[in-house]
Amino acid sequence: MLYYAKTEALRMLRNRRYIIFVVLFPVVFYLINANIYGTQTDSAGVRMSTYLLVSMAAYGALASSMMSSAVPWAQERQSGWLRQLQITPLPSWAIIVTKLGAALVLVLPSLLLVSVAAVLQQGVSMPAGQWVALLLSLWVGAIPFIALGLFIGSLLSADAAQPAAMICMFTLSLLGGLWFPIDAIGGTMRTIAGFMPSYHYASLGWSVIAGHGVSMSDALIVVAWGIVLGGAAAYAYRRATVRA
Amino acid sequence: MNAIVFDHVSKDYGDVLAVDDVSLAIEPGKTVALLGPNGAGKSTSINMLLGLLRPSRGTVSVYGRTPRQAVAAGQMGAMLQSGQLIPELTVKELIDLVRRLYPQPLDLEEILKLADLTDLVNRRANKLSGGQSQRVRFALAIAGAPKALLLDEPTAAMDVESRLRFWESMRAYAAGGRTVLFATHYLEEADEHSDRVIVIARGKVVADDTAARIKASVGGQVVRFTLGEQPAAGLDLLPGVTAVEIAAGTATLRTSDADATLAGLYRGTTLDVRGLHLTGADLEDAFLALTRES
Repeated sequence: MLYYAKTEALRMLRNRRYIIFVVLFPVVFYLINANIYGTQTDSAGVRMSTYLLVSMAAYGALASSMMSSAVPWAQERQSGWLRQLQITPLPSWAIIVTKLGAALVLVLPSLLLVSVAAVLQQGVSMPAGQWVALLLSLWVGAIPFIALGLFIGSLLSADAAQPAAMICMFTLSLLGGLWFPIDAIGGTMRTIAGFMPSYHYASLGWSVIAGHGVSMSDALIVVAWGIVLGGAAAYAYRRATVRA
Repeated sequence: MNAIVFDHVSKDYGDVLAVDDVSLAIEPGKTVALLGPNGAGKSTSINMLLGLLRPSRGTVSVYGRTPRQAVAAGQMGAMLQSGQLIPELTVKELIDLVRRLYPQPLDLEEILKLADLTDLVNRRANKLSGGQSQRVRFALAIAGAPKALLLDEPTAAMDVESRLRFWESMRAYAAGGRTVLFATHYLEEADEHSDRVIVIARGKVVADDTAARIKASVGGQVVRFTLGEQPAAGLDLLPGVTAVEIAAGTATLRTSDADATLAGLYRGTTLDVRGLHLTGADLEDAFLALTRES
């Protein structure tokens, strides 16, 4: 099962689309924005270069979570690869758990690369404890989005999963304030963002860099989304693999 | 104990009865062909054997266990009809991935040798030709050293040479006392590569015997040649001929004794015979004959 997880991760790292959208895009986007707005500070007095680090790391993690789950999973179901695995001794729960684990590992490159870019190019610095809290919360907090990706992949064909995952990813990023700070737009957007799991997810990080530690209310909301989406993914998975 | 048992098994999809009260038993170590036209119920039977489908009625067992138990114990390997590989992985990675899921797999080297993949170990799956991917899929099927190997139309995407090599590999694997069941709609394949042929049509077993006896029972071979403008009269009187068709200047003779028919054609007529073909009776005929009987 460990070897299966390893090959799962390996194959995504060889996927050009994954590398471009998930690994390079957040870093490039971070560098562009941080170089324009980096020296400004937000309402809480946090430098934008740090604020954007959280936004782009969160975006990268979100994109990675969905891209390494939805479409590959839908393809494997359709192409017969899933059946090939189903006739090996690997139990069927292990297939989806491995997918989840591999997707979680694949979140790391974008988190770490954006952080490295922030440190090297923008001179962002914070206490070690904050780094740990930030990276850990953004890492584990990605689980609901992986579940969402697997839900989409279990439910839709590969052709439909591709745009569905894209739409979800852009909606979550945009309305969750990952691309543009919610404060900068304000009003209605703020209300909408409150309904987005992505907003609370990124807030875990924003709260850490503002020196408030991990916000319990955001954490609970992310966990709640994790349970809802995880349940939906498990249900859809069972439905997709049921033996007629 | 039998390797594979179907005990009054039926499978319906809504109104369509795909498998209709099939009972059969296959001894361990045999290579058996499941022969039938498209839609006869071959794939449905194989999928039930693998536990991918549940029979509507009756029971299927593999070495005395349910299919799910046999799969969990690593006793089953299969090449299903559709099954793409993971494009980003190499041949070696794919095989290793699957073999590590089994409790007592074959050695990687042995698998590569059996599936004739030694030269392709480091090639990525998306760079393989159709025939090469089929070989990889065969490798995945045997990787876990399953006691029961199921092949669902394994040669469908292969050219002639790949087919020959494929059957050699299959024989080498079966030689270790393993049970092999393969589905095909080619009579020749069933004929050459199995100990026993089970013919199914419309979900029912219509014949179950050695290939030679089944072929003999459905009568024959087909002699085809270019007739051109020459008269067709008398062709139906040649020895062994059971039916004659003339279309677009080509004569098609069905015969139960090809040797006698050809001798009669050359010696007993003055026809200028060109472009002669001799083929085995195709399955279409076999089925017409077999299903008519049942």
